[in-house]
Amino acid sequence: MTSRFVVQVLAVLRKELRQITRDKRMIAVLVLAPAVQLIVFGFAANFEIEELPTVFCDHDGTARSRALRQALTAEGTFRDLGAAADCARPELDVQQGRARVAVVFPRGLARDLAADRTAHVQALIDGTNPTVGRYAANAIVGWSRAASMPVLTERLERVAGLTGTAPSVARLSAEPRLLYNPAMESSMFMVPGVAAMILLVVTMIAASMGLAREREAGTLEQVIVTPIGVVALLLGKVLPFVLVGLFDVLLVLVLGNSVFDVPIRGSLALLALGTLLYLMSTVGLGLFVSTVSRNQQQAFMVGFFVMMPAVLLSGVMTPISSMPSWLQPLTYVNPMRYYVEVLRGVLLKAADLQDLAFPFVALGVYGAGILGMASLRFRKRLG
Amino acid sequence: MKRLTNALRRTAAIAAKEVQHILRDPSTLYLAFGMPVVLIVLFGYGVSFDLDHAPLAVLDQDGTAQSRDLARSLTATREFEIVATPADAEGIERLFRSREASAALVISSGFAEHLRRGQEAPVQVLLDGSDGTMAQAVLGSATQLVAATIGTPPIEATATLLYNPALRSAVFFVPGLIAYVMAIAAVLLTALTVAREWERGNLELLFTTPVGRLEIVLGKLAPYLGLGLLQALLVLSVGTALFDVPIRGDLVLLFFAALLFLVGMLGQGLLISAVTRSQQLATQVGAISSLLPTLILSGFLFPIENMPWPLQVLANIFPARYFIDALRGILLKGAGLGVLWPDLAGMAAFAVFVLAVATLKFKRGVA
Repeated sequence: MTSRFVVQVLAVLRKELRQITRDKRMIAVLVLAPAVQLIVFGFAANFEIEELPTVFCDHDGTARSRALRQALTAEGTFRDLGAAADCARPELDVQQGRARVAVVFPRGLARDLAADRTAHVQALIDGTNPTVGRYAANAIVGWSRAASMPVLTERLERVAGLTGTAPSVARLSAEPRLLYNPAMESSMFMVPGVAAMILLVVTMIAASMGLAREREAGTLEQVIVTPIGVVALLLGKVLPFVLVGLFDVLLVLVLGNSVFDVPIRGSLALLALGTLLYLMSTVGLGLFVSTVSRNQQQAFMVGFFVMMPAVLLSGVMTPISSMPSWLQPLTYVNPMRYYVEVLRGVLLKAADLQDLAFPFVALGVYGAGILGMASLRFRKRLG
Repeated sequence: MKRLTNALRRTAAIAAKEVQHILRDPSTLYLAFGMPVVLIVLFGYGVSFDLDHAPLAVLDQDGTAQSRDLARSLTATREFEIVATPADAEGIERLFRSREASAALVISSGFAEHLRRGQEAPVQVLLDGSDGTMAQAVLGSATQLVAATIGTPPIEATATLLYNPALRSAVFFVPGLIAYVMAIAAVLLTALTVAREWERGNLELLFTTPVGRLEIVLGKLAPYLGLGLLQALLVLSVGTALFDVPIRGDLVLLFFAALLFLVGMLGQGLLISAVTRSQQLATQVGAISSLLPTLILSGFLFPIENMPWPLQVLANIFPARYFIDALRGILLKGAGLGVLWPDLAGMAAFAVFVLAVATLKFKRGVA
């Protein structure tokens, strides 16, 4: 009984593999696509904000204002593009896209500082991208505080000279330190995210379309009249995509490690287990999608409809804790969320099974559930 | 003249057939109009880089009123929520590994003493660098923390945020979403529909009729052009209604830009179908060649100027960046043709090129 089952599965698997490999272009796509996506994502998905093009309107034109301008651009967040095109309307450069930031130094800045008055520096920031806008605003304010310190100390010293007490400025200094990713390389956390995305696309969409093609061509019904059982048929059909998925993970890991220096700090066995559990979910989803669609076009659309929210609600792009509270529960029914946790945990933090118990259990439950449900639906539709 | 009206009639016949085809299969319409709404709601509400109750661990080795005040002041803005108070640095790492906390504040002993003596009182902020978007946001807040204690500084900077003063992410994402949704529908739907015709041999049949190549192409594309424009209108309406996305510029210019972009995307879909002639392959090629550039290489999510130069060159080839640039210009900045003409020229060049190649490929395939 069992040996016959294995023979049946292998027979379907062989036929399926032959069909996939017959179209050489399809192999190229299944292998090339993940590589291209990883490279593009790894290099392009850069959350670092630096060298924002900045124009200046220096109405003061003193050595003091020039020094302040230099201090502002020295740290790397802003790049000095020179003077604004029209200082009567400094926002013009920002509107026309030449600059992201326009900084205006007021006339009399040096005089005000010398006379113990407050000098007001104005920064016009392109807020189109909220992340960049907020970061630039913070950096400007941070710069003004840093530039204020010597002035403040100097004033205090002058006062101290008069009263004879020692000058002191109480202040906090926070030194942020990044664990696991000290240089804050975007690729470090994007590569695991991209791996999870690629797996979802390749296994879910390809599996659902492969099955939908059989339905479109009417060949599924033909296979059903043979002695091959439904379970053997299903296994044989989805196994090639699991293999392709495993290969893609390996490819992404090797590329990520060699091109982007993404470390593999944890156990590879744990990673393999997590990947298998995740593949159960994605293939199960693909199977499910194929049962609700009549043809390839529909399968793709439904698959796509599942994929986009899965990516958005996975925590790859934005922190889950930043989502509104009514949306956060939805991330718990998203297998990608758990797999990203497993990947980032194992690769970057050397997390062990105990650390990752929750995502592992969740992936297992989800995979078994969706696979079982999809198989039932599949059997019903055929029967 | 007679020839032209005949050609138009044949084109219209093909288009009418395609429209019927779309209407018969409601899933196409569902994708075309349901998906944008789902995406815009998800992006508008869900995609936020703002810190909101970020899980924070506090290791207070000082244990004074001042140190407790500092920890409390961090949670006052609701950016952070204290989820744990580990006993040592080891405990922080354990919390990071199990994802229970993503940032930690370490206040070493003597903190209050330092402050009292008017010295620099160091605190340490530890971040889980494996979740970069979060880390980036916390880094921003950390600088604010330092700043909080100085009082009125001699140099005061006021930062004015133009175009999006409340820094709402929807305002930023909606223009990108319009391009994204239009690219999906235009490239993938055309690629899939036409590839299906190739798969079934329907096109060979059509080629034997008096209908010309260009007429087939135009007739096939026209309905999807209409679909795409309706989509743009839908996303724009939902964006302005739900998320107060402003429309500061000229709507006519906006639709002209959308038209140029769509023609390019449809041409790309056509080209993919003519080259692959298989739906499965067309999907994968379409996804890589349209979704990836629109999502990643367009300025939709990540600024192009931060990318390495080979990717910047690549980004300049795909029309998505021009379209998103034009959309943001028109919607948020109220920019006109004088500023945006390079974007329109870029899209037009792509459209002309890709349509020419697609029409050529369409012919050779039959021979």
